[in-house]
Amino acid sequence: MKKINTHGTPLLEIESNALGMQKSPPIAAGKVRGLAVERSRMEKAWNVLITGCLFGMLAAAVSTGTAFAQNSDMDFTSSSDEGADAPAAGDDSGGGSDMDFTGGGDSGGGGGGGDLMDDLIGGSTSDATTDTAAEEVSEEISEEIFAVQQIYALRINRVELVPSVAFTLNDPFTSHTALSIGVNYWWTNVLAIGANFLWYEGLESESDLNFSVRRGSRLSVPISEYQLGAHLNFTYVPLYGKFAMFNEFIFQWDAYLLGGVGLMNTRPRAVIDPEVRNFDYDLRVAFNVGVGIRVFVSRWLAIFGEIRNYMYLERLEALDVALGAARQDTATWLQDEVAFTNNVSIHLGATIFLPFDFEYQLPR
Amino acid sequence: MRSILGFTNRLVGFPATLCLALACAATVLPAPSAHAQEIQITGPLAGQPAVRGMRMYRVDRLQLIVPALGFTLQDEFSRSLMTGLEANYHFTDYLGIGVYGAAANFGNSIRIDSDLTTQIIANGQTTGTNRLSMPDEANFGDQIARLQGLASLHLLFAPLRGKLSLFQGAFVDTDFYVMAGVALAFVEERAQNFTEAADGTRVATGVCDAANNQACLDSQTARESRIAIAPMLGVGLNLYFNSYLGLALQWRAFPFAMNPAGFDDGGGTAESSVPVPDGMLDDRDHRFYFHHMVNVGLIINLPPESQVSE
Repeated sequence: MKKINTHGTPLLEIESNALGMQKSPPIAAGKVRGLAVERSRMEKAWNVLITGCLFGMLAAAVSTGTAFAQNSDMDFTSSSDEGADAPAAGDDSGGGSDMDFTGGGDSGGGGGGGDLMDDLIGGSTSDATTDTAAEEVSEEISEEIFAVQQIYALRINRVELVPSVAFTLNDPFTSHTALSIGVNYWWTNVLAIGANFLWYEGLESESDLNFSVRRGSRLSVPISEYQLGAHLNFTYVPLYGKFAMFNEFIFQWDAYLLGGVGLMNTRPRAVIDPEVRNFDYDLRVAFNVGVGIRVFVSRWLAIFGEIRNYMYLERLEALDVALGAARQDTATWLQDEVAFTNNVSIHLGATIFLPFDFEYQLPR
Repeated sequence: MRSILGFTNRLVGFPATLCLALACAATVLPAPSAHAQEIQITGPLAGQPAVRGMRMYRVDRLQLIVPALGFTLQDEFSRSLMTGLEANYHFTDYLGIGVYGAAANFGNSIRIDSDLTTQIIANGQTTGTNRLSMPDEANFGDQIARLQGLASLHLLFAPLRGKLSLFQGAFVDTDFYVMAGVALAFVEERAQNFTEAADGTRVATGVCDAANNQACLDSQTARESRIAIAPMLGVGLNLYFNSYLGLALQWRAFPFAMNPAGFDDGGGTAESSVPVPDGMLDDRDHRFYFHHMVNVGLIINLPPESQVSE
């Protein structure tokens, strides 16, 4: 495989020598010339100089079709094969190419008489430089390695879809399993606003502990059940990191904090007096805070896990059962005081960023 | 050519002329095409490891996590504060073996009962049907099962190694690992009260009824310890402040069966899937219990210097 120089420095060096920018046509020392004669000669010199510039650039345009700045078309050696090996040092024959920068004879670079083109272009003095540069072109390796890499997966100005499943962690009596869908908009790379919706009904179940406690201690624990929840959230990403797996694969991850407010539709489940009592769902204001971690599988897909605490005030079933006609009175079915309830849930799911791809405005 | 250039020189001077010439030449030059992706793919970085000069915090080192502070989760009647230590030795930067040991509630000198236990003590009732399960609600706290300690032998596998940045300012080396092994759970439960005949039938020792209430009360406070063998599975995240100090965050699970409340819950003839009491306290009253806990510990790596990869 060819060694490729991405900077093209040698090429530029060759061009500068070819243009002879370091040299100027000498004026014979010791002679005094008339002003008109001097101007005429200077005009001639400038014209030649400019012509040489144009010619040189045109030559570069013909040969440089791509950024492969090495001895493909600009062959400064006797070999005109593309991709040939680096020319031998000191080889200044220069045959076989239209742009022969090796010139005749002069090896010192430069000065005085002989062919003006050679003098201007740099003739033989650039032979060694050319050969050396050609060698350098074929051998020099200059990879673009940046100290600070661009972030693999940007979040800014992207929409995030977050489907997940939620499981309750802190309720030993009832499992509040839910299906959740969320959407977030990242207006900066670390801040997002969004909403999530959870559906609980049909997915909850009462644990065996509840039955065991009722039978063993004659004590019923009032429980509640959820139907749905809807919340507005802010998300902030303070942690961003990378993991290398077996020192071969690298993937990005971040950790985030979130919090917000919303509504939950809940009701007590009749366990004290299930024969008579029957409750309807009611909306309750709920706050939520949480922490999560997101691992990027690709630029648009990630898996995540988060622990979120949904906090709200619940009305629980009354522990006492009224007797007689009062038993049917719904006013006696609920406890007088509200219970501050923490529903600590773990969300597991995937996150999808839209649009799927993004472009940096600046190269680095 | 000369006359044109001469006119130009007179009009705007040489620098402008040169710029004009260069500009004209530039229009002839085709825009070079970029092959940066090819360069990077075919360059010297191709096939190279993702990380060079990586500090290997684990290989050929003893990793002590002391103190290892833990707290059991989702306990129904009593929670356990675990204090212990962990020692791991790694053969490679990915694999290691370790031991862990911890005592609960400082040798059970303290009790951390759940609110359910408090509610049962306050509002529970003893009747003829649950006299063996709970002879006296006031002493319910004396009959629940408590974890005394935990010990484990485990393997560690750390496939993930990386860094994290905190507020884009502080950077910490991290690694993520999983561990699996066997755990010994030292459990103290309500004492069993049966004798087993040669044919395998079990008979309750003593009768627990209203007429023999003292026998019931004595059985409520009788305790016995046992060692439960359980699988242990866990995950952890280590944060390394330097080559010899760090912070370990772990979650580990050690499920096994026990009788957490000391109730007579099973063993009788069941007409449905619901377990029926049999009038005895034995292993048939045990139920599967998913014990799990979180741990935080200070990491001390020995020797203090870590190896660095190529």
